[in-house]
Amino acid sequence: MRVLVRTFSELCITAGTLIVLFVVYVLFWTGVKADNAMDSQIDALQDQWAQGSVPAGTDRESGRTASPKKPAPYEDGKPFAVMYIPRFGFTWNKPVLQGTGTETLKKGLGHYGETAQLGQRGNFSVAGHRRTYGDPFKDFPKLRPNDPVVLTDGTTWFTYRIDKKPYKTLPGDTGVIDAVPRKSGFDGPGRYLTLTTCEPEWGHSHRLIVWAHLDATQPVEAGKPEALRR
Amino acid sequence: MYGWIWRHLPGNAWVRALLSLVLVFAVVYVLFQYVFPWAEPLLPFNDVTVDGQ
Repeated sequence: MRVLVRTFSELCITAGTLIVLFVVYVLFWTGVKADNAMDSQIDALQDQWAQGSVPAGTDRESGRTASPKKPAPYEDGKPFAVMYIPRFGFTWNKPVLQGTGTETLKKGLGHYGETAQLGQRGNFSVAGHRRTYGDPFKDFPKLRPNDPVVLTDGTTWFTYRIDKKPYKTLPGDTGVIDAVPRKSGFDGPGRYLTLTTCEPEWGHSHRLIVWAHLDATQPVEAGKPEALRR
Repeated sequence: MYGWIWRHLPGNAWVRALLSLVLVFAVVYVLFQYVFPWAEPLLPFNDVTVDGQ
């Protein structure tokens, strides 16, 4: 009898310890791993750009109004751009990888493979974790109209401007990443950006969406866009 | 359970304590490296896309 009670209480303590360890893993360790992974993705991108092997075909000498030519197709699971959102903090920058697979989203933000490429006509759509794995989109609900979302692919700075407050929808609502996203208020084809994350913060019953339109582009030689200057 | 492990470790109390510590670290390592990465996707934090999968 005594042995039974003792074994039972030992099992309870073990289970409790396991749960605490798992919480530590989810809340803390995934963040440590993701921050490392994201940093190495950005480093890899910057090395690639420094060697001059930028995707062929992007426009180099264009001004603000010129439209960049079509870049080479993105490689699945590989980074191709860096995103900056000043609203999330001045040092906030995350790599954007091709695809929205679970493994890809552990290393950065994921570009929906079937949507338009960066700066192109259509809807450049990106998904990111709101919680765990570095919490990249933790402050998503703080986004407001006219907030800049800046991206670079190594040759061009793209400044998108958000048009509406975050919009809550259901997970099956794929219309939000259409070329002209439904419910966005955009009435014709254009160069749009969509960001998606989960809602509520720790749940998965809904999705939170923001839409933006391309406001300006400039070559990297011209320096950082105004939105990123202090 | 833990008493059984303790009795079956070799050496004196110090050696046993050291071995227990090593065992604890080994278990934590296996959990963080293999078990938790498997279990974590079963939680809802990964659903951030609208693919409707």
